[in-house]
Amino acid sequence: MDLLRLGSYSFSSRLILGTGKFSNTQVMLDAVRASGTQLVTVALRRFNREQLSDDLFGPLYEISGITLMPNTSGASTASEAVRAAHIARELSGSPFVKVEIHPNPQHLMPDPIETFEASKILAGEGFIVMPYISADPVLAKRLEEVGCASVMPLGSAIGSGQGLKTSGMLDIIIRESGIPVIVDAGLRSPGEAALAMEMGCSAVLVNSAVAAAGNPAEMASAFSEAVRAGRKAFNAGLMPKSGHAVATSPLTSFLGTEA
Amino acid sequence: MFTIELNGKKQEVTAGSTVSDILALVGSNGKNAAVLVNEKIVRPENRSTAIVQEGDRIEVLVFAGGG
Repeated sequence: MDLLRLGSYSFSSRLILGTGKFSNTQVMLDAVRASGTQLVTVALRRFNREQLSDDLFGPLYEISGITLMPNTSGASTASEAVRAAHIARELSGSPFVKVEIHPNPQHLMPDPIETFEASKILAGEGFIVMPYISADPVLAKRLEEVGCASVMPLGSAIGSGQGLKTSGMLDIIIRESGIPVIVDAGLRSPGEAALAMEMGCSAVLVNSAVAAAGNPAEMASAFSEAVRAGRKAFNAGLMPKSGHAVATSPLTSFLGTEA
Repeated sequence: MFTIELNGKKQEVTAGSTVSDILALVGSNGKNAAVLVNEKIVRPENRSTAIVQEGDRIEVLVFAGGG
């Protein structure tokens, strides 16, 4: 079976879903179910008595076959991210952590140095470390070397819906990587997710594309099908590209010949 | 009574209050919450015996939506 392997875990679904920005918890839960995902991201935040429905641990826990991947959003340094990971593991019991360190709220680009430092520490502590990074092949390799379970380069800026702007760099990362490459951030359409999978990504992570869709559950289902189709195409092996036309029908002339 | 910092805000509490008392004060049953006192995690089994001190910084955290 074609499974996504991360640390000691295996998943049949290659779609990872974020849980932010949904209009309410029920819409999010419906999208999670429709997506068929087995790995969802969550964020830590302060308890607020007025927003009890925002506490997602209970509702997500009730969906069978779901593993939580807490992120370190809000951290702007490696030490903050490590602390967030420890708290999240205490709360979830999950060994997964999405290392996400973006100090500038204007562009939300991940800090490569702090991300590397935090990932190294957390991998050493036995976490299944999934760092969110810019599409940087050198950084991706360094993260692999310190024991990350995957790398998650961005397709374009978080929540921008600009798609696979980084496809050239993603190609290099995929070619060089000995660990799963997961496109995280920037995707807008299922077509882009399929393309990422056809390129050889091991999975995609989407949030805004589903949460901000007109019908989130339908869009989650569409992403699920697109990811499966893209993976199937990758496994089937795409035809080679050619710089010129290659006929599919015989070109031997007979219509114009006179008997 | 003395003052602690609870989720970033000043809070008056009764001397001798435990972490469990603080959870009750904010309205959390503590089940799906992580509690930190001065950046150190207080595990559920220790909350009813952990006494809060003046000036403690307490964070009660839960999982919310995130990508």
